[in-house]
Amino acid sequence: MKAYDPLVKQLLDGELTLAELPPELQAEGSEALRLLAAVDRRAVMLPETLDARVMDALRTRARVVPVVPLARRSLGWITEPLELRLRVRPWALGAALAAAAALVLVLRGPGGMISRQGPAATVSALPESLLVRFVLYAPGAKQVGLAGTFNQWNQSATPLVRAGNDGVWTVTLTLPAGQHQYGFVVDGRRWVTDPAAPAVDDGFGRRNSVIAVGGTLRAGRVL
Amino acid sequence: MVRAVLGGDVERYAELVRRYRDRYARYAARMLGSADAAEDAVQDAFIRAYDQLAQCREPDNFAGWFFLILRNRCFAERRREARMGAGPGDIESRPIPASEQPDGMMDAKERLHALQQALLDLTPEQREVFVLKHVEGLSYDEIATRIGGSVPSLKMRMHRAYDRLRQRLKDRM
Repeated sequence: MKAYDPLVKQLLDGELTLAELPPELQAEGSEALRLLAAVDRRAVMLPETLDARVMDALRTRARVVPVVPLARRSLGWITEPLELRLRVRPWALGAALAAAAALVLVLRGPGGMISRQGPAATVSALPESLLVRFVLYAPGAKQVGLAGTFNQWNQSATPLVRAGNDGVWTVTLTLPAGQHQYGFVVDGRRWVTDPAAPAVDDGFGRRNSVIAVGGTLRAGRVL
Repeated sequence: MVRAVLGGDVERYAELVRRYRDRYARYAARMLGSADAAEDAVQDAFIRAYDQLAQCREPDNFAGWFFLILRNRCFAERRREARMGAGPGDIESRPIPASEQPDGMMDAKERLHALQQALLDLTPEQREVFVLKHVEGLSYDEIATRIGGSVPSLKMRMHRAYDRLRQRLKDRM
């Protein structure tokens, strides 16, 4: 189908009326106006709960779970995350590259996601690597993946598994010491960053969550 | 309020969120294809705005500054989806089969959904101009003020969008 006549485009821009178009363009003009008539101008109101989620994220975004030697922990740590918390100030650390992440996200309904605050990335120390547990609260999700620099951003390489029937998804990885960027992929299409975690631009104008493991966290303080 | 937050009163930020939560929700929803996606984007944008609040050079124009952050978030989301090979594809953005529509509502509803789907096939830049002009009701001058660029370049972008929409909707309008 050919392009609209320039006069019809002026009609769509509101610079001409249909009556001002020459007779041979009346049909094309009418068709174009039907397009604009289909525009959805209904207001979109967001839930008031968004306010609380934002504020919760801001209040807790600096809280992280510190590194604890694995030898001091039984295997029970996998199901019982550490309650120790470390307060850091990522804005004082440049691009927020020096904190472990706190990750709990909520999937609202079949297609919608709402991020929630809370500690869920639990880190335990190994000599050259760290066990990191990622948790996503997403009761509406059918599948959840973890993509990051540690798996070449392969969204299917590290699936999370359901932990019970309460909508919690989890996966535990051994990550080498260093900084890692990551995000969750819900139902294969929705990218979710963690508002409670430090983040950096991904080069496309958006942010990836960041976890720094190993040398940047020591004995409850950031070095 | 911005100055109060910058002065350390974090709780005052809640007032900014409450005041501006819905102002650009429709823009985000039309840019991303669903209200759910818009909700995520607005939430992320508020958190990012908080992180960067010290860079808000005109505290009295928080809304305009926040819009640019939300805009970047919407553009990044679309680029990410393109990179991941996944379209918006939310149920509410899919054209509804005519057979599912009640009599009398068929054409209008189908057109509405078809247009929304077609908008998602535009480039983010084309879609934005269309949304700002025909959903938000801004003039080209106002669009240029809000997002930058010259009026002629915005018009050219829009006119390409018209042609692309016509091609995409040739059997529906």
